[in-house]
Amino acid sequence: MSRKLSLLLIGVLIFALPSMLFALSAEEIIHEMDRLSTFETTYSTGSIQTTDRFGTKTSLFRSWSQGEKDSLIEFTSKAERGQKILRTEGSLYLFYPDAEQLIRMQGAALRQSMLGSDISYEDMTEEKNTLDNYKAKLEGLETFKEKECHVLTLTAKTRSVAYPIQKIWVDTESFLVWKAEYSTAQGRLLKVMEVLETFKSGDRVLPKQSRIEDKMKKDSATLMTVDTFEANPKLDRSIFTLENLTW
Amino acid sequence: MKFIFTLAMKNLARYKRRTVITAIAIALGLMMYVIVDSLLLGIEVESERNLLWYETSSVRIHTKEYWPDRLLYPLEEGIEHPQQVIDILKQEGYTATERTMFKADMILYSDDFGEDGNLSVLVTAIDPDTDNQVFHFEDTLIEGRLLNKGEKEGIVMGSWLAEDIGAKIGYWVTLLTRGNGGFFEAIDVQVVGIVNCPNPNVNRTLIMMDKDSAGTVLGMEGSVTEIDILLPNRADVDTEVIKIQTALDASGLNNLEAQSWREMAKDYLAIAEAKRGGTGIILFLVFIIAAVGISNTMLMAMYERTRELGMMRAMGMKDNHIRLAFIFEAGGIGLLGALAGIVLGALGNIFLVEVGINYGSLLRDMDFGYRVQNIIRGTWSIKSFVIAFVSGIALSMIVSLIPIRRALKMDIPACLRHQ
Repeated sequence: MSRKLSLLLIGVLIFALPSMLFALSAEEIIHEMDRLSTFETTYSTGSIQTTDRFGTKTSLFRSWSQGEKDSLIEFTSKAERGQKILRTEGSLYLFYPDAEQLIRMQGAALRQSMLGSDISYEDMTEEKNTLDNYKAKLEGLETFKEKECHVLTLTAKTRSVAYPIQKIWVDTESFLVWKAEYSTAQGRLLKVMEVLETFKSGDRVLPKQSRIEDKMKKDSATLMTVDTFEANPKLDRSIFTLENLTW
Repeated sequence: MKFIFTLAMKNLARYKRRTVITAIAIALGLMMYVIVDSLLLGIEVESERNLLWYETSSVRIHTKEYWPDRLLYPLEEGIEHPQQVIDILKQEGYTATERTMFKADMILYSDDFGEDGNLSVLVTAIDPDTDNQVFHFEDTLIEGRLLNKGEKEGIVMGSWLAEDIGAKIGYWVTLLTRGNGGFFEAIDVQVVGIVNCPNPNVNRTLIMMDKDSAGTVLGMEGSVTEIDILLPNRADVDTEVIKIQTALDASGLNNLEAQSWREMAKDYLAIAEAKRGGTGIILFLVFIIAAVGISNTMLMAMYERTRELGMMRAMGMKDNHIRLAFIFEAGGIGLLGALAGIVLGALGNIFLVEVGINYGSLLRDMDFGYRVQNIIRGTWSIKSFVIAFVSGIALSMIVSLIPIRRALKMDIPACLRHQ
């Protein structure tokens, strides 16, 4: 009897060991997710389509980024042509060409919505160091859009992040976040982000079109589309300077 | 001189009808001046009172970091130990209350409102026990009830805001806001009271909830964004601000600053100052209209006396004496008119001060800077009565000089033939 039990235990161990050895922890998944969404430099063009009870508005943009901290967005659609948003380490600047005015956004001002969308300026300044701000817990595996995903619950460590609780669905292969639910500390669902389309850049899978829906406001959603994307292009360092912002 | 004065007074009594008609013309002109001045001044006084009673209080304390970002209502820049500040103020003899102001998106639901929607609002979290010692919302409740201390789910709304969104007592809304630090928070609250605040800017936007409940949800940890102080009516605000600041500094609360309502309402004062120029012009025009009326009546009254004047000259009366007699007579008419004018003005003003004129339908959708909502009331201004009285007499005397001067330049026969 005891021999049979020993054999059974050995059998279970043989089958379970590889998955136990290679199973990723929540922190490792987050690290990988952050790593794969960061490039040395990027250049992209795309659009932000905002829908609310007043209708739909589309803004076109082109953007440059460098590492985790520097990025520049320039709007090219008629209504916002020439408006720029520069993000450098810890700072965010807005440039309005009509007024020739440069505004530094800080503190509570960062919480304002960007062009009336469901994305705030603060969402843009958020650095890709999720684990600094959130405690991650792996809930298990789930299939989402026919992709096997790790389901993680992120609970804010500080009060300085917008969403106290995030639930994310991370692709087990590409580490792309297919879906994210943003909630208050009491668990009230505020926003849902869902990736609708993806594209490949080298070996990485990135979102081509994602939809952010405000669950508190009826008929309010933002569709973000990337039309062109270039990974690691050679960028002039002066792109991310204030001098460049005002020309 | 006594003879001249007696002659002037006898003339007044002799031409009773003319004296009465001229005096009435003067009285109506002056009454108009007194009433317009009372209304214009009344708007300013009421507007200032409504600003202090419902919006700014007399003096406000906040942290030095709060003021530059005040339009963003940063909860992070709150006063950490408000009770300590309140105790210091109490020792100095001031009445004060704590408040926390925060921006929120108010979500409306179709269940109550008929359709879903949202609007941006400013929420005032108050201490229900002490707020009414500084502000005056207690007297403005028109429906439901005021907030109770520690009430978690109740809000009180301004009647114009409630009207605009179709809110009624018992309706539920959600306030979506950012807590201290920046985290999102949603608060479900029910409308428990509606107030009709006389300050239109407040009545259009007011949402009040309990400070402690808001503080818990927003992670304020006992801090508040402001402490408001009420000063007696005649207190010198600037002196009191210095006194309060000295008391705060002496207690080691150097990061706090006290500001007078004048500092907080600079925009309003700039508008009021600009309007004061406009009201000055209106008042001047009213005065001119009154003056023209008085002049015209006096001129006519004097011109028709040219023959009498010629007769006096023919009888050997000196020009200076004639001039003086007519000036005294004009002054007498002016005195009667001015007395009647201020009496009529005072009677009209009693109505304006006690009842006022209801401009509600006109002011409902109009923001003309002043914090006056429906009824515009007059005020008592001794200055305006004195101006009316003195100018009524002086104008009559000055204006009478013109026809007298002209008549005295004429030949005596020409005066006697004058029609």
